[in-house]
Amino acid sequence: MNASTEPYLELSDNPVRFEAVNQVTNVFFDDSNKQVFAVRSGGAMGVVVKGSSEDIPAINFRMDDKGPVISIKFSLDHNVLAVQRTTTSVEFMNFNGTTIESEYTQNCKKNSSLLGFVWAQNNEVALITDHGIELYMVIPEKKALKHLKTTSATVQWFVWCSRNKIALLASSHGSHLQPILFKPGTISKLSKVETEPGRMTLERDVTLATLYDVPAVLILRHQSGPQTAEVHVHTLSGPGQAPVKSHVLRLNLSGRFAINVVDDLILVHHQASRSSQVFDIALPGESDGTVTYHKAVAPARSLKPTSLKLPGLVEPSTHKCELYSPNWVVFQPNIVIDAKLGCLWHIKLCLPVLCSQISDLPLCTQLTLKRTCGKDVLLKLILEHAKLPKPSLHKLQESSNHINSVYRSWAEAELQMQTASPPGAPPPSRPPSPPRVLINQADIYQQVLQKLDKEDLLQNLEWTLISYMTSLSEFGIPAEHTLNELLITTLVRRNKFTALMQMLQYGVVADSKPLACLLLSLGNLHPAASQLALDMLARLGANEEIQEVLLDQGQLLSALKLSQEGVSPRKFLEAAQNSGDPALFHSTLFCFKSSAQYAHAFLKDERLDTFIQHYKSLFPDSSNNSNSK
Amino acid sequence: MTTNKIEVELKNFFIFNSSWDSKEGEEYKKVLYYYPPTDEINTQVNNVGLVEAIIKFTGNFKPNAPVNSLHTQKKRQLYYQPEENYWMVMTLNLPHVAKSRNGSTVNEYLEEDVHDTVYEAVLKQAYLMYRLFAGTFCSTEKKSDVSHLRNKLEHFFSAYLKTLKLTHCDILNVFAGIHFLPLDKQNFLNVQCFINSLECNYPMIRYVSFLFNDSLIWSGIEPNDMQIIYQYLIGTLLPAHMETELQGGSIPRNPLSPFASLHYGRFITGPSNLKTAGSVGKIPKIFLNNETNPSVFYFIVYRALSSTVCLFIDGETDLSLHLFKELDEFMGPKLSSIASDIAEYCTKHITSTNTPDGAPRFIYFNKLNLAYKSTVHLDNRQTGNVACNKESIKVMADMNAKRALMGHAGETIVKTMNDYWIVGKISNLREFYIAIQQKNASLIDISDEVKKICDTELKGIFFHPM
Repeated sequence: MNASTEPYLELSDNPVRFEAVNQVTNVFFDDSNKQVFAVRSGGAMGVVVKGSSEDIPAINFRMDDKGPVISIKFSLDHNVLAVQRTTTSVEFMNFNGTTIESEYTQNCKKNSSLLGFVWAQNNEVALITDHGIELYMVIPEKKALKHLKTTSATVQWFVWCSRNKIALLASSHGSHLQPILFKPGTISKLSKVETEPGRMTLERDVTLATLYDVPAVLILRHQSGPQTAEVHVHTLSGPGQAPVKSHVLRLNLSGRFAINVVDDLILVHHQASRSSQVFDIALPGESDGTVTYHKAVAPARSLKPTSLKLPGLVEPSTHKCELYSPNWVVFQPNIVIDAKLGCLWHIKLCLPVLCSQISDLPLCTQLTLKRTCGKDVLLKLILEHAKLPKPSLHKLQESSNHINSVYRSWAEAELQMQTASPPGAPPPSRPPSPPRVLINQADIYQQVLQKLDKEDLLQNLEWTLISYMTSLSEFGIPAEHTLNELLITTLVRRNKFTALMQMLQYGVVADSKPLACLLLSLGNLHPAASQLALDMLARLGANEEIQEVLLDQGQLLSALKLSQEGVSPRKFLEAAQNSGDPALFHSTLFCFKSSAQYAHAFLKDERLDTFIQHYKSLFPDSSNNSNSK
Repeated sequence: MTTNKIEVELKNFFIFNSSWDSKEGEEYKKVLYYYPPTDEINTQVNNVGLVEAIIKFTGNFKPNAPVNSLHTQKKRQLYYQPEENYWMVMTLNLPHVAKSRNGSTVNEYLEEDVHDTVYEAVLKQAYLMYRLFAGTFCSTEKKSDVSHLRNKLEHFFSAYLKTLKLTHCDILNVFAGIHFLPLDKQNFLNVQCFINSLECNYPMIRYVSFLFNDSLIWSGIEPNDMQIIYQYLIGTLLPAHMETELQGGSIPRNPLSPFASLHYGRFITGPSNLKTAGSVGKIPKIFLNNETNPSVFYFIVYRALSSTVCLFIDGETDLSLHLFKELDEFMGPKLSSIASDIAEYCTKHITSTNTPDGAPRFIYFNKLNLAYKSTVHLDNRQTGNVACNKESIKVMADMNAKRALMGHAGETIVKTMNDYWIVGKISNLREFYIAIQQKNASLIDISDEVKKICDTELKGIFFHPM
């Protein structure tokens, strides 16, 4: 299997195994607690509850068989078990972790038919009937429920999202969709989901999900005729969490679909073609102003084949699992259950493989920037691209732009947190959450640029570095010293001194003393480097360093003219002495001797005596004259 | 007062090789090129012979540095030995004024008007320009033969000498500097990225240079080569192209697709109209790195809006029309957008050089990157269009000729008879000349004025304290 058709989605290696559905066993899944209930003979033969991972120990208990179970769910704190066996009532049982202790029942209002129930809070349960919602508080100690609130609405079916505590009530054959938000002790209606008038919706075509921390209603829309199906994404992002139809996913297929969400990517499984597509609503797409139309980010691929190890009599055998089986049921966010096989899997995304199938680097960058573990993948991706013999620098830069856009806004947010706000201003609400993938200059330096720092890749290093620095500059982020230094050394190693000079001339490299020193060290090879170094020092106002340079070049007078504040006379006198120019020595000595600042140094500092002596040897006639001063 | 001034003019120009022994009567074989062709063979041989004699004679006194020039009352002769034994000689008639004295007219020759340094530079540049397009004398002679060299010289110089504007030569010829566009970092980096992607996609492009109007933004080739190419572009190629542009309206418009990205590019050397061209046509070849590692490159110039891109393509490359089309597609839209960004920046940030008439004028030159800037000259075309009197510029040339006296750093101030003050400053291998016209000014006034100019014009560079 080559890289281009490798599957990027896979099922978890260790599925949760449970007793498969048969004549005596019924299987239920509670998507609030993510638990699978295998109920044998209505509970009399035992109930096995498994969590979403094999690591969580299973719960075993027995309960009386009072008829077929319709729905079974633990409260969120596992203290109470609720079982629905009829369309009028729910039974509650206090649970101590191993056995059921007591039972009590709650009927729904008269003439209502119970459609289901959900645990809204630890001790609050909502019964959803065809006439609306009844919210009760469960009081296990009293073995009783207390009525909290009732909302009336016509309901044909409902979908529950435990994460956001939102229920979507459907009436008029699903053409009327009403989201309800549950808060402790209360429920409130949100604005209804705007759909095309009269357009009916089936329960199985509606998914409640969370995309980038925003609750969303995903509705599969099958089209008639040659048109293919679409997923309409209504995010609850309007005022008062009103649903807004903001994205449409174009599936280019028709038939039966199932939807999962992994790492804020929407996976759409298609049963007929046994393949899945991946969508990201954060990516740009065609837009009509309010709705953005998305295409799959990569070609559709089948899930990675998986198999089960079955203990055998002689040796364990393996069973190849049927993918996209008709026995599959999917739950949010990323759970797939095969009830016949007794398996619960989690769908996982293999980001590097997905990226390898997206040919456009900037697109891929945008995608990985939003993924929880995208950082290493993205850095590798950029490195790979930069290593190509003919990298597309344009794409590389665009990609850097996406990275730096995140980097910039994070840096700004952080800065805002640090700056003192004026008294009276509201305190910053809360520290901004760091972006999922934050790639700073050190990351690029260590993970990309340093890895390009090889003789045969120097050209690529130069290209990549410059395109990255261009992008930094575009986002107004000053480049760090390591990058500036790398730019200089790379250009020097590539013998592109002319290029380096122009870079400095146009201020691509920010001034700093270390860089000025680096340039000075290049001065032997390229005289222009010394000139640029002096310019840089002058801009930095580093008079002391300039004096050193001038002294080094034997320009003693210029150094002295620059400043006489806080210099060491000895250094200058030594330089004057070494110059072998008596006149220069004379001027230097007298300059210091006649200065109020330094005159006393000649009395104090014995080391200066040697210069007086030297002066006397140079000008024997005037030595008396000099002493008298 | 109408003085009838005759400007400096070219008397003759010749190239010979002094090493070729000549039998008596065959001395003319030494002469490789001679202008004007109207001079008889005998005159040519005599002139060459005289020069050889002068060179030999003066060589006795100063063997390590050959003679540069010969001053006579009416003429000036300049010598330049670009390659061993090859000599280029230029003789100028000094400018003169006819003055009537005691009823008879006497020609007064203005020796001071002709600077050796300036015309030495003109001579040297003639050689460098030749070498750029034809390679060294020596290599041509070695590769083929003398007659081939003669043909090449004939071909090049008969055209080149016509373009010399001897009257308007001044200190700028000595510098032969490059005018850099003062651009911000971002636009510069955008240019840089454009060039990188060009070099990355087309590895046969060895170097790229980028100009905006008459100013250089980026040069991938060494400054000494760029210097000559710049002179060629600014002095010859681009002005010629502008003329055709003005006549023909070169901006190709495509009314059928108003949404296509703006694309104004076209080749200046190479096929100018890609739609109708049947072949690539003649592409100029140039010789670069002559001093270290001479190599031949195709010289392709592409222009969009005001931006000019020079591509130096490996001389071995097989150029196809397809390549040109590809390059055009690649560069056109990108270059057009970069050019308009730069233009926008320039209109916003670079205030026009319309300094008021009486304001001080200056010339700046940095020997290390060959950058120059002049507010004395009103254009880069060497048309004699200057903003202060010619005398000041001549004083500057004098200062420049004597700059060795100043060492690392120094300052010279000269006051002329007509209230011009000329200040020359040297520091850190940079030269800065200022001309100020101010009546009744004191040295202190001028010193202050100079300080002010330095503070604004030399911002951000180290200039030695005075």
